Amino acid sequence: MNLEAHRMSAARSEDQAFETLFTSEYARVVGIANRVLADQHEAEDVAQEVFVDFHRLHSATAQYAPAWLHRAAAHASLNRLRGARRRQKREVAQAMEEGDRTMDPQMHLEVSEDRRLVRAALGRLAPRPAAALAMRASGLSYAEVAQALGVGIGQVGTLLRRAEAALRKEVTRGTSD
Amino acid sequence: MAHLTDGTLRRMVDDPDARAGADEAHLDGCTECKTRFARISDDARSIATLLAVADARVDVSRAFDQVSHAPRSQPALVRLPVFRSPVRPIRLALVAAVIVAALSLVAFASAGLFFKPSTVVAVPVTVADMQALSQLADYGTVTWTQQPNLQVATSAADASAAAGGITTPVAHNVPSGISTTITYGAMSQAVATFTFSADKAQAAAAAAGKTLPALPAGMDGATLTVTVGPAVGEVYGDMNQQTSSANEINLPQLVIAKSAAPTVKSTQVSAQTLENYILSLPGISPDLANAVRAVKDPSTTLLIPVPVQYASATQVDINGQSGVQLGDNTGLGGGVVWVGKDGYVYVVAGSIKKDDAVSIAKTL
Repeated sequence: MNLEAHRMSAARSEDQAFETLFTSEYARVVGIANRVLADQHEAEDVAQEVFVDFHRLHSATAQYAPAWLHRAAAHASLNRLRGARRRQKREVAQAMEEGDRTMDPQMHLEVSEDRRLVRAALGRLAPRPAAALAMRASGLSYAEVAQALGVGIGQVGTLLRRAEAALRKEVTRGTSD
Repeated sequence: MAHLTDGTLRRMVDDPDARAGADEAHLDGCTECKTRFARISDDARSIATLLAVADARVDVSRAFDQVSHAPRSQPALVRLPVFRSPVRPIRLALVAAVIVAALSLVAFASAGLFFKPSTVVAVPVTVADMQALSQLADYGTVTWTQQPNLQVATSAADASAAAGGITTPVAHNVPSGISTTITYGAMSQAVATFTFSADKAQAAAAAAGKTLPALPAGMDGATLTVTVGPAVGEVYGDMNQQTSSANEINLPQLVIAKSAAPTVKSTQVSAQTLENYILSLPGISPDLANAVRAVKDPSTTLLIPVPVQYASATQVDINGQSGVQLGDNTGLGGGVVWVGKDGYVYVVAGSIKKDDAVSIAKTL
């Protein structure tokens, strides 16, 4: 086989592997970003960027592919969360969406305020605990979170606890002000 | 038995695997741990409620269509055969070397007929720039006079031997937390020749439905010969671990590579002509064109492309040599590239802070 034909055939099988990876991981990658951003449209944006980034430099057959994608999804969406302009937009959208639901008005107000506080605080957390929380909340197992962050499985509990305690504190402080 | 840690208790809230053995027995009999466990599970539950969102309903095939158009428009230059190597650690270590090879084209453009870098400068590259530059690959044919030969070695000495005797760099100041498992790799010298073809250029332009600037006189049949390597690399992190085991990372945490500086030689076309031509390609941003034109000594300056949307770069001093420090905006990693006093191109990169990369770089 000449070099060009060899290159073409390698590229084809790489493209097939990428499609398989995409099909099996896309929903989970969106799920992680959606958990952070609470906005499906934006979560899909992040997920697609993450896949494009991955495809540019990595082989889809790499063993570390899912872990890489999960971690990148968490970090990229947390980075977006930190963007101030986006935050305002999201809060308005979220408030409108929540206004549709039937709930005791007083309780609705409190929950919505807590949600706003918790997402704002999520953006201020240290990257690792925040990423651990986003991944776990989106349904990844402890083993998958550990793999994505490159930590031992025992450390995932510590990261989650740190994130939840910090967020809890923010919400408590916010509501008692 | 000592009390259970917060992390252990948190895991016991929702990981069935954690609810076993001595920890479970301790929790059953310890009032203090029970109280902490109750508080920790309350927090976990309330945060889970606050983070709850409606499940995203995705159309995977539609999303794939969108994405599959994006990467195909990425640079063909980075799709060199070495990237298809099954030897993953080495491939990672060589990312830099391949980028160097690709960018040598641009560097050459502003250089003389012979290019050999002794310093590096970052230039901003947009996706449109990369697309424009990647079109160049369709303007001719690549032939490998000497194919890159990639090898995994078990020791620094073996890697050094396989790479024609380049000493494998020894890193100090490696941050704690970086795996102590090191995989060494070596790449033999590779030589590729690119031959421009007026016919292929026209066909490529027609296929892309674009009007491209005419090839300068003498460009048809002109050749560019790029020599890369030999190179050695070391990858920190256990690369061969099964993904089912989560106790250890198997992403590369740190990659250190050292390569003989790439050289580029050409025939038939003058450097100035080629530079003007490349910078006139549709899609090349004024920022990139200005950055390339601003390079003071083009024949000895290696341009490091920095994708403006994904990473930022700053000049940094590595033991008296000027280097480019890179950090991506996703928080996933950082790195530094420079040409050492010994004339070799060095790269230190990984899922580490930019400053840690510089600190390691200074010890090499």
